Amino acid sequence: MSYKVIVAGGGLIGTSIAYYLAKSGAEVTLIDSKDIASGTSGSCDRAIMIQSKKPGPTLDLAIKSAALYQDLEEELEVDLEYRKSGGMIIIETKEELKVIKDMVALQQKSGVDVRLISGDEARKRQPGLSEDLLASTWWEHDAEVNPLKVSFAMASAARRLGAVIKLGSPVRNLMTEKNRVIGVETSEEELYADAVVVAAGVWTPQLLKPLGVDVPIIPRQGQILVSERLPPLLRTGILSASYITNKLRKGASREAADPFGVGLAIGQTHSGSLLIGGSRQFVGYNTETNPEVTQKIGEVAVRAFPQLAKVRIIRTFTGLRPYTADAKPILGAVQGMDGIYIAAGHEGDGVALAPITGKIMAQIVCGEEPEKDMRAFSLSRFKQ
Amino acid sequence: MNDMIICRCEGVCLSEVLDAVEDGANSVPGIKKRVRVGMGYCQGRVCQPIVRDILESKLGNGTKPHLQRAQNPVRPVILGDIVR
Ligand SMILES: Cc1cc2nc3c(=O)[nH]c(=O)nc-3n(C[C@H](O)[C@H](O)[C@H](O)COP(=O)(O)OP(=O)(O)OC[C@H]3O[C@@H](n4cnc5c(N)ncnc54)[C@H](O)[C@@H]3O)c2cc1C
Ligand code: FES
Repeated sequence: MSYKVIVAGGGLIGTSIAYYLAKSGAEVTLIDSKDIASGTSGSCDRAIMIQSKKPGPTLDLAIKSAALYQDLEEELEVDLEYRKSGGMIIIETKEELKVIKDMVALQQKSGVDVRLISGDEARKRQPGLSEDLLASTWWEHDAEVNPLKVSFAMASAARRLGAVIKLGSPVRNLMTEKNRVIGVETSEEELYADAVVVAAGVWTPQLLKPLGVDVPIIPRQGQILVSERLPPLLRTGILSASYITNKLRKGASREAADPFGVGLAIGQTHSGSLLIGGSRQFVGYNTETNPEVTQKIGEVAVRAFPQLAKVRIIRTFTGLRPYTADAKPILGAVQGMDGIYIAAGHEGDGVALAPITGKIMAQIVCGEEPEKDMRAFSLSRFKQ
Repeated sequence: MNDMIICRCEGVCLSEVLDAVEDGANSVPGIKKRVRVGMGYCQGRVCQPIVRDILESKLGNGTKPHLQRAQNPVRPVILGDIVR
C-alpha cells in the first residue's frame, strides 16, 4: 500500500510539494479552498533572484532551487517563460553603496560571484537607466519565470503522476487522534491520510491554531503596477538598493520613515508588460490597492528610468507575502505531533524557492534524509 | 466554432477558455490566470461578461460566477501623470 499524503494549499509551494511527492510514489491529494494560484502565487512578480537573498541558509536553499529551475521546463514539458536574464541591484546613494558592498562581499563568500559595476557600465548593460545612478550590482545567473505557469504546470504534472486535485474545497479542520493528525475535514468530506502538509501561505496559522500550534506568519502586502505591452525594453531583472533594505527590515521598526516600504522591483513579462513594484506593508489581510502607494512606486520607477514617465499603466494589484520575523520560511514537521508538516512563510522568495521546497518537503514527508540540514527552518526556532 | 476569438486584446479563443474550465477553473480570475483572457489593454471590459456566461453555462449550478474586482486605475493612465 502506498503512502497517502494530503497537501492543503495549491500555490507555488503546495503544487511543487504535490509534484515531488507524486514523483516519489506517494498517493497525493492536493486541496485548495479556491483554485490553483488563487492566493499570493497569483499576484506576485517573477524573479528567481539569488543575489537578493540574505547570505546564510536561505541563500543556500535559493542556489539549489535555481539549479532545479534550469531543467524544469524540460522535466515538466511546459514553457514556463524561464529566462536567465541576469539581475541588477541599482544604487542611488553613498549609504546604499556601503550596505550593498557588504552584502556583495558576503554573497561572494557564499560562492555567488556578484560584481559591483559603475553607473556607466550599468547604463551600458541596461539602456535607459538614469544618469544619476551611482553604481549597480550585476549577476548574470539571476533568472525569471512565470509563476502562474509554474503553479499550473506543477499541478498538472502531479495529476499526470496520479495525484487527485480538489479545488473550491476549503480545509475546515485538521482531524486528530491523540497526538497525530489523521486527515482533514473539507467543506464536503472527511479525508484520511498518513500525513498532511499545510502549504497555505498567509492562511497557514488559521489551520494550525485549533491544534494549539502557533505559526508566526503574518501577511505583508505588496503592490505592483502593470503597464501596457511595450517592445522589449528591460533586459534584466532590476531591484533598487532600497528594495533590499526594506525587505531585510524587521517588523514595524523604522517603518515611520517610509510607511509603505517602497523599493523598486521591475521587469518585463513575456507579453511585453512591465511589472513595476513594489511596496511592503503590514495591513492585515487587506488586498485593496492604494493610490498613494501607486504614486510612490511610480516615483521611484521614473527616477530610475526617466523614460517610463511616458508609459501607460493598465492596472495595479496587490498580493500578501507570507512574512516571518527572521525572513526564513517554516519547513518541516511540527514538534510533539505526528503526521503534520508545514511549508509556508516564504515572504518575497516563494517563486525562487518553490522547486527546492517541494523537493525537500517530499524527502522529509517520505521519511528520507533531506538533502540539506533543515534545522534553521524548523517551527521550533521561534520558541526560544 | 471553437476557435472564435473571445478576448481580442490577448487573442484568446473559445477553445482555450473551455480548456481552462476543463482544467478546473471555477471563476473568471481562474480562467484569466490560465489563459490570459481579460489581462489585456481593456482589462476585460469587453471579454469578461462573455467569459462569465461561458463559465456559468459550464458550471451550471445557477450561481453567477464573480467578475474580477475592478482594479485601479479604471482607465489606462500615463505614469508621468500619476507621479505629478
Ligand atoms: C507583490 C509580490 C511580489 C512578489 N515577487 C516575488 C518574486 O519576484 N520572486 C519570488 O521569489 N517571490 C515573490 N513573491 C513571493 C511569492 O509570491 C510568495 O512567497 C509565494 O507565492 C507563496 O506561495 P504559497 O504557495 O506559500 O502561498 P499561496 O500562493 O498564497 O498559496 C496558498 C494557497 O492555500 C490556499 N488555502 C488557504 N487556506 C486554505 C484552506 N483552509 N484549505 C485549502 N486551501 C487553502 C489558498 O487558496 C492559496 O491558493 C512576491 C509576492 C508578492 C506579494
Ligand atoms: S478583450 Fe479581453 S482584455 Fe480586452
